[in-house]
Amino acid sequence: MLFNSIDFAIFLPIAFILYWFVTNKNLKLQNFIIVIASYIFYGWWDYRFLTLIIFSSLTDYCIGITLLKEEKQSKRKRLLWISILVNLSFLGFFKYYNFFIDNFAQAFSFFGHEISSNTLNIILPVGISFYTFQTLSYTIDVYKRKLEPTKDIISFLAFVSFFPQLVAGPIERATNLLPQFYKKRQFHYSKAVDGCRQILWGLFKKIVIADNCAEYANLIFNNSSDYSGSTLVMGAIFFAFQIYGDFSGYSDIAIGTSRLFGFNLKQNFAFPYFSRDIAEFWRRWHISLSTWFRDYLYIPLGGSRGSTWTKVRNIFIIFLVSGFWHGANWTFIVWGLLNAIYFLPLLLTNKNRKNLDTVAQMSIISGLKDSINMLMTFILITFAWIFFRAENIEHAFSYIENVFTKSLFTLPQVRPTYLLISILVFILIEWFGRSNKYAIEQLFLKKPRVLRWVFYIVIIASIFILSGNVQEFIYFQF
Amino acid sequence: MKKFLFRGILFIVLFFIVEKGAYYFLNRAPKLEYDKRLEHVINGKVNKDLIIFGASKGASDIIAGQIEKETEFSCYNLSYPGSNIIFHSFILKSLLRFNEKPKKIILVIDNPHEFVDVPSLNFRLDRLYPLSKYDYINNALIVRNEKNILSKLFCLARLNRSNLKLKEIEVPLQNPIDAFGSMPFICRDEEQDFTYKTHIPNYDVKREIEGKIKAFKGIQRLCESNNIQLLFVFPPHYQAFNYKFKNRFEKLAINDNKVMIYDTLNPIYINKDCFYDASHLTEKGARIFTSEISKFINEN
Repeated sequence: MLFNSIDFAIFLPIAFILYWFVTNKNLKLQNFIIVIASYIFYGWWDYRFLTLIIFSSLTDYCIGITLLKEEKQSKRKRLLWISILVNLSFLGFFKYYNFFIDNFAQAFSFFGHEISSNTLNIILPVGISFYTFQTLSYTIDVYKRKLEPTKDIISFLAFVSFFPQLVAGPIERATNLLPQFYKKRQFHYSKAVDGCRQILWGLFKKIVIADNCAEYANLIFNNSSDYSGSTLVMGAIFFAFQIYGDFSGYSDIAIGTSRLFGFNLKQNFAFPYFSRDIAEFWRRWHISLSTWFRDYLYIPLGGSRGSTWTKVRNIFIIFLVSGFWHGANWTFIVWGLLNAIYFLPLLLTNKNRKNLDTVAQMSIISGLKDSINMLMTFILITFAWIFFRAENIEHAFSYIENVFTKSLFTLPQVRPTYLLISILVFILIEWFGRSNKYAIEQLFLKKPRVLRWVFYIVIIASIFILSGNVQEFIYFQF
Repeated sequence: MKKFLFRGILFIVLFFIVEKGAYYFLNRAPKLEYDKRLEHVINGKVNKDLIIFGASKGASDIIAGQIEKETEFSCYNLSYPGSNIIFHSFILKSLLRFNEKPKKIILVIDNPHEFVDVPSLNFRLDRLYPLSKYDYINNALIVRNEKNILSKLFCLARLNRSNLKLKEIEVPLQNPIDAFGSMPFICRDEEQDFTYKTHIPNYDVKREIEGKIKAFKGIQRLCESNNIQLLFVFPPHYQAFNYKFKNRFEKLAINDNKVMIYDTLNPIYINKDCFYDASHLTEKGARIFTSEISKFINEN
């Protein structure tokens, strides 16, 4: 079920009413409603893959219980590995099987041995990368004794399948989300209104910004050889806003929906395009995934401690794995590699934690230095997005090659005025709201209600008027 | 919770009232349009004996007013440049729904692109958007997933960004629409340099789109069930006639329907002065071709 669909607009109020009016007196029943709602939400896409979520959940639930009783370290380690292998084998099969088979076949043919690549017609279960990482975090935390394993199976099933964040995150840690299922939730007016506001902003990002940018980004990327260098630059910029609007929009809707049900999810995006360097960008982009890799991969590998070689190795590992997590395509690996190359100089000169605060926190406009740094970071990120969006490596290189021609200095052939104005307004709203969790969190909050409601009506009107063809969320494919 | 529900409902009610203001734009959009033919169709104003359907060749190469003079049939041209056969089928259904059924229909065939996917021939959604105030058009947009079900309730959901235009659409100077719906090219496009092609490429059946074949068969069935005579017309190109496509076309056409091909031996069709570009006639060429059609109609 898509957040930006009529199905969801009907589903959400029904789930809300059942949750707060029918089952509100019984915590277990409320959690059970969440499980059922989540399975309906997921099954709407393809009910067959529900078995995968249920199997993965039950495996980790049982391993968690066994880890609680087991004191012997070697056995505990074995249990952890069973969980990792089960979860990663599902992910590996559904997401990476064809990629590995193809590449093995190509590698063999390079050495003169022709073997047939028997790829399978595998459907990638939506959200598998997200819930796999979520359940893995549970087992690892239980193994490390950071978290008491739960005996409440309904709470655990609800934690794994919680519908607002099931298919595209944020990837919640068991330490944050699971305990929320144990406590009775209270309805708070201010939290619910805040949730609705964040949902509205998420829809604006997705429907007005991302979907409209997608129309032009697709047009330019799919016909890149026909366009001038300047148009290709526009295409890359459109994609940069598409992916940001799409993914952060999804996160906003997920967080807002969770708040309607009395849950607090972690912030997943913190205005990443206002970052002054790559390290800051990665602290602000897809925070739940970056911190997951930091805590469960980077730090266990030694993090930024040790020799220069260890630091370099760890950075490359984490970015390559991050790239590979996004999809079984060399484009994602190169995208990860590129980000590692961007990041490395900052780490080696100890400047990776220079910009921890929000840019120009005390003023309306940023200084010249910060502005230049933001622009440079945006250019680097947008350049890397070309690899992320391209069909394959050859397409990415030909795209870049076509950018750097004389036509780079001509007027772009594609310049939709309405979209450029929408993006400009969007940047301004995001800029003024950059100290908050989402851009319109505090906007007009201290102004009269009439003004606030007029603003909401304008946003809803723009969602209606500027909605193009409904596009799936990009991160569904990951 | 009560406060939340009360304010939520109040906001929805207020929104429902305020958004009705969008009707101003919905109502204004058709008035700004230059091409009002579809609006005439859904308002039941196209009651003619003979209707021409097609894409740009149908619009420019056949002068409906001339047919009216040369035959005993009143005639109107409902050909839309850049439209495909699925769009023609939609216009035909709309015509039959809101108007008296015609006696004859001319379907202008785009040789060899009629059934294959070409970027220049589409379902002309841009002709539907300005008319979304009409429920019939809005429902057609919903069926095509261009609008969602909310547009039945909310005016804003019917609105499209193209409805927010401020100026009237300008008259196309090269081929304005005449009183009979035809759009002949007044002069030649001097910038276009085209040469006569003799090579006929192979026709690949695999490139055909199922939806287009279905629409073509649907048009034939519709005419048959309404007792309307269907005439297929192949207009001239500045190139040798593509008989390979014609052979395929004949397999898909019902035998009872008549096929009229331009006079391939007429030297006028290799005269550049009669062509606007390689695919379209000028008004001069269109008059010659139309008289051929009139003759064909009178004989059939």
